[in-house]
Amino acid sequence: MTTSSKKPSVNTKIVRELAALLNETGLTEIEYGCGDLRVRVAKTVAPTSVTVAAPTPAAVRSGAAGGEVDAVADHPGLVTSPMVGVVYTSAEPEAPPFVKVGDMVAVGDTILLIEAMKVFNPIKAPHSGRVQQVFVANGTPVEYGEPLMIIE
Amino acid sequence: MFHPPVFHKVLIANRGEIALRILRACREMGVLSVAVHSTADANAMHVRLADESICIGPPAASESYLNAAAILTAATICNAEAIHPGYGFLAENADFAAMVEEHGIAFIGPAPEHIRLMGDKVAAKRVCREAGIPVVPGSDGPVESEDQARAVADDIGYPVLVKAAAGGGGRGMKVVNGPDELADALSTARSEAVAAFGNGELYLEKYLARPRHIEVQILADLHGNVVHLGERDCSVQRRHQKVVEEAPSPALSPAQRREIGRVATTAVKRFGYRNAGTFEFLYEDGKFYFIEMNTRLQVEHPVTEMVCGLDLVREMLRVASGAPLGYGQKDIKINGHAIECRINAENPETFASSPGRVGDYHAPGGLGVRVDSALYSGYMVPPYYDSMIAKLIVHGNNRNDCRMRLVHALREYVIDGIETTIPLHQRLLEAPRFIAGDYDVHWLEKFVRGEN
Repeated sequence: MTTSSKKPSVNTKIVRELAALLNETGLTEIEYGCGDLRVRVAKTVAPTSVTVAAPTPAAVRSGAAGGEVDAVADHPGLVTSPMVGVVYTSAEPEAPPFVKVGDMVAVGDTILLIEAMKVFNPIKAPHSGRVQQVFVANGTPVEYGEPLMIIE
Repeated sequence: MFHPPVFHKVLIANRGEIALRILRACREMGVLSVAVHSTADANAMHVRLADESICIGPPAASESYLNAAAILTAATICNAEAIHPGYGFLAENADFAAMVEEHGIAFIGPAPEHIRLMGDKVAAKRVCREAGIPVVPGSDGPVESEDQARAVADDIGYPVLVKAAAGGGGRGMKVVNGPDELADALSTARSEAVAAFGNGELYLEKYLARPRHIEVQILADLHGNVVHLGERDCSVQRRHQKVVEEAPSPALSPAQRREIGRVATTAVKRFGYRNAGTFEFLYEDGKFYFIEMNTRLQVEHPVTEMVCGLDLVREMLRVASGAPLGYGQKDIKINGHAIECRINAENPETFASSPGRVGDYHAPGGLGVRVDSALYSGYMVPPYYDSMIAKLIVHGNNRNDCRMRLVHALREYVIDGIETTIPLHQRLLEAPRFIAGDYDVHWLEKFVRGEN
């Protein structure tokens, strides 16, 4: 598959001619051989549309994240999960939730619990503001980095 | 006889080519696979192909692939029945193996106590010597005086190595070629050891000038059945990292293979060890010297698979589920020859790492050619992990056929966009010393420096 020749000087004339031919014909690749000289010129039509032969992500994500979450990935008020675990929205099954949409929270307020290895880790609000959206339901598993809620 | 079914779902606690390797074995056995990954590996091949995937942490391995709590939580959430640790990361962490078992999940590997025992290099050497495995002869403890050192050195024969008990990584070691150098070496080593480690304790070991690294693969079930799968020669190394491995070793005769295999299987039975394991030896002048036992699947396991016709990961899953081996030593046949090249994302001359996006990717093929790699065209090689990106393993009817096939496979292999060590492999496979099979653990470093 070696396409470059080890000749000391580059025959720019051939390359230029082939490059011109490439544009003229609208081809994306020309390989030219003469004796033991081999030249291949190629151009990428649209560098962003590289064909990826690998399968598309078909894996089932364990979390509840869906399409709506992708849209908010860059949201400045987004709070993401710091660990893999199971979300609890209230301190006890019968207790009211820590927060609900429309609530005002201050920095450091507990907004959720995430259970990992039988330890309940309080998730604190990283910034203060109003709860705009909550993406996770009580008892659902979350991945590391999964969106939990938007506080702004 | 009742054979318990192999697992329903297995979590793969690793990344890269070995995660894909384990996933393939699971698929072939009809076992569901769960990939756990860091944010840097969200687009990794094994994540794309797994039945389920869970992101367990940020890129740093300490917070993802080494994060036992996150991995166990993921296993619990997805109801995995077993965890395969691969190699590296948590594979030889006895505490992790114990935690896995405490959660009622099977650890696909040996028992925690065996991982712990073999992880303690001094204790491992002692129990192996007691089990009849040859070890490097030495003072078996600190030497108190020059007279004692002289007696030990006379007994084991020169050259000897004076080592600091507190030393490591090559520091605090002196090679003594003859009796007249001993006194000086002892006093220099002692003062260096005091300065470097605050402990002047010294011991003596036989010095091996040109050893080969030869290792024996064993496999044991839960019912006391043990087989060895022959040896791998991993002498082609750079900075203690294996670069090329082959099976069988060009240095061993069938009789030597049988004998070291018998010694290894006898020891494994005595330990009550289970699952896959490898005894690593230095080999010089027809004699084996135990270095350590690896209590896990090894990077270079495919060369053994190619000559034995056995899928080691499948066997690991089977025996971990309680199934008996179902075959004995007489059923294990070594066919032909296999060589593996470890391909790293590194400059082939300076060995500077070269992470980045893979452009065109074309893997070699043909009879006897195997590529274990998680690469694909457009894949981003992350800078956070090991630089090994592919293993090219080739099988042939004999060593020369195998080498010729490998030379051609390396020419076919295209990995654009990043630098790889493929050119180094192409050079070393054509080196007369490699062709002759006449190399030791120091050969590659000299070869790279242009000395031979």
